[in-house]
Amino acid sequence: MTSHTILGGHRRLATAIFLSAGGGVAAATWISGAHGWAIGIAAAYLVLAAITYLWSGRSGDIAAVLRAGGDERQRGLDRDALALSAQATTVVAVVGAIVQIARTGDPGVYGLLCAVSGLTYAGGLLALRLRR
Amino acid sequence: MRNDVRDRRTAADLSQSELGAALGVSRQTINSIENGRYLPSLPLAISIARHFDTTVEDVFHPDGKEQ
Repeated sequence: MTSHTILGGHRRLATAIFLSAGGGVAAATWISGAHGWAIGIAAAYLVLAAITYLWSGRSGDIAAVLRAGGDERQRGLDRDALALSAQATTVVAVVGAIVQIARTGDPGVYGLLCAVSGLTYAGGLLALRLRR
Repeated sequence: MRNDVRDRRTAADLSQSELGAALGVSRQTINSIENGRYLPSLPLAISIARHFDTTVEDVFHPDGKEQ
């Protein structure tokens, strides 16, 4: 017997996220007056959403993560990738803040990113340590 | 940490997909466990052992030596 294990999750989830994000970016671009870019961005996100929907119906690790489902190992992959992404974002925010301070004396949006990163990490650590 | 999952699975004439379906995990996870790339959680290790009607210590070998 051959079986394909597709473990839970919501196939439309990642698709909906791409459509929402793409719709928001495209709408903002349209409002800014760059109508051509807005149409291009909307088309690109539609293609991305379609690919995501088709891929998320498969049985592999990436598909399971796209569905926000999967087994313990696949959820662990998602968590580790998310942590890696957060670390990269934080490094960029810190370096960006340093460069911005040197240039203008104001960290600008990089400062906000650093604050959010630091506060969510500290808050997460305090909350999560109570659970395990 | 070594384990006997592959030996026990093949002895039971099961594919990775079939064992995964029985345990509620993916074929890829069974493959990762068999190759030692992924160390399962305690509940999954117990489920694996129970599936083969044995104990966790008989399937997983912390010292890298088979008993």
